[in-house]
Amino acid sequence: MGEHGHHTILGFDRYAFNFWVLMIFTAIEVVAVALTFSMEGTVSMNTVVFILVAVGVVKGVGIAAIFMHLQGDPDSRVLTATALFPVFFIVIMVLFIGLTHPDAADTLPDWCRPGFYNLE
Amino acid sequence: MSYDSHHGDHHDHPSPFGPHDWSHGAPHNSWAPIMMAFGSSIFLLGFTKVFTQTWEGDAWSYAINSAQFGLLIAGLAIFTAGLYVFWRQDWSFDGIEFEPKSVGTPFRGIDIRKVAIWMFLMSEMMVFSSLFSTYLRYRTGIDNCEALHAAGTLTDGTVCWLPASYFIAEGGWHQETAHAALKFMPDTLIPGAINTFALIVSSYTIVLALKTAKDRSLSDSERNRKVGKYLLTTLLLATLFLIFKLVEWFVGFELGDHDHPLFYSPSLLADGFTIHASDYTYQVCNEWHDHHCAEGQLETYTIDIRMAASTFYVTTGTHGVHVFGGMVALVYMVIKAYRGGYTPDNAVSIEYFGLYWHFVDLVWVLVFPAFYLY
Repeated sequence: MGEHGHHTILGFDRYAFNFWVLMIFTAIEVVAVALTFSMEGTVSMNTVVFILVAVGVVKGVGIAAIFMHLQGDPDSRVLTATALFPVFFIVIMVLFIGLTHPDAADTLPDWCRPGFYNLE
Repeated sequence: MSYDSHHGDHHDHPSPFGPHDWSHGAPHNSWAPIMMAFGSSIFLLGFTKVFTQTWEGDAWSYAINSAQFGLLIAGLAIFTAGLYVFWRQDWSFDGIEFEPKSVGTPFRGIDIRKVAIWMFLMSEMMVFSSLFSTYLRYRTGIDNCEALHAAGTLTDGTVCWLPASYFIAEGGWHQETAHAALKFMPDTLIPGAINTFALIVSSYTIVLALKTAKDRSLSDSERNRKVGKYLLTTLLLATLFLIFKLVEWFVGFELGDHDHPLFYSPSLLADGFTIHASDYTYQVCNEWHDHHCAEGQLETYTIDIRMAASTFYVTTGTHGVHVFGGMVALVYMVIKAYRGGYTPDNAVSIEYFGLYWHFVDLVWVLVFPAFYLY
């Protein structure tokens, strides 16, 4: 939200365009899930997960780039970098989740297990 | 207290609790954040003392320790006092006379308050990231109850993950036995779906409020009325969000005839999805006859689903608290708008509040599919 961001997208006001994109994608999200559970077999769970992730990415980018003006303002680049800074820590957290998952520990190769190098 | 002076005047001695005299430049070293952080700590400490659970050999016992309420109230009082100091020093500042700019790399030349709100949003991002990583860890680490049942390994007493989506997107057990007319989607999904659309619309109305506040073609009275209208709409949508949240958690809803309702959505509480659901009754019917389970086809298990419930309520509750915080700010902004507080040269507080509000919407973009749909 800044002073320089009043542009158009495909001839429409960018805020109105973004608003309708968000509404439509949310409807897709809800309908996909509703179909899955009300008419079993119409949409598989894997498809639903793909739709949810794809829609989430589009909606997230729409809100951040247009509504929060991380695109189009003179200070957008530095503020985008600022906003992305915590992503580094988020990646670390997600990595820890993977590494602490019981299955992940069970399937570690021998060279990665305690005692392999006889260092005790 | 010190100032970044734009007049070269360093001889002013402001009160440590405000209000700031912005004509001397950008003030530093406010007591407000320290007071608010201290108040939050005391409040959260009190929270753990008031709501307790203890293991009594064979079951968990839950209690509300009213003797510790003082700690909760003290924390809240200190936090509110800090908020008041913050308001006196900064919120009441219009930025017309002097908008302080950052001088250090990489934010040189950007309004200090804009940088500050982004720093705040970064810390908020970390809060919600920790909640999401907790959710991912437990969701991937604890077996899914429905999958265990499908594999034939579900037994009484099993600790497993029954996601909130089982009750919301699938409709849970009650949806199967209800005679509700809406067949396209489970009625239990309605409050969450409406809330999602409400937040998106509110994100748009806050943008419209800012656009209108900056519109020089409007007369002052027309601008005040329109900005106030958009902010009030945002406030009403936020209120709607929290009302539906409470309906979903505690109240539930039923429209039409009780035996054949048009809509029927039991609350999560009535469905047994609670933070102490260590003995949740999980029912599976293998064959249905007109919303009734055929004789001998009903399987019943007593399972522990507390982790799924706790993760759901803590995450969605934290988001709800953020919505409530936004509502408090919106009440102030609506009054300010109708009093003519926003002009084309003075609309930054709508802009900065908008950043916060869009962030709340952004978090919901992740919470809704992760907790309600999947």
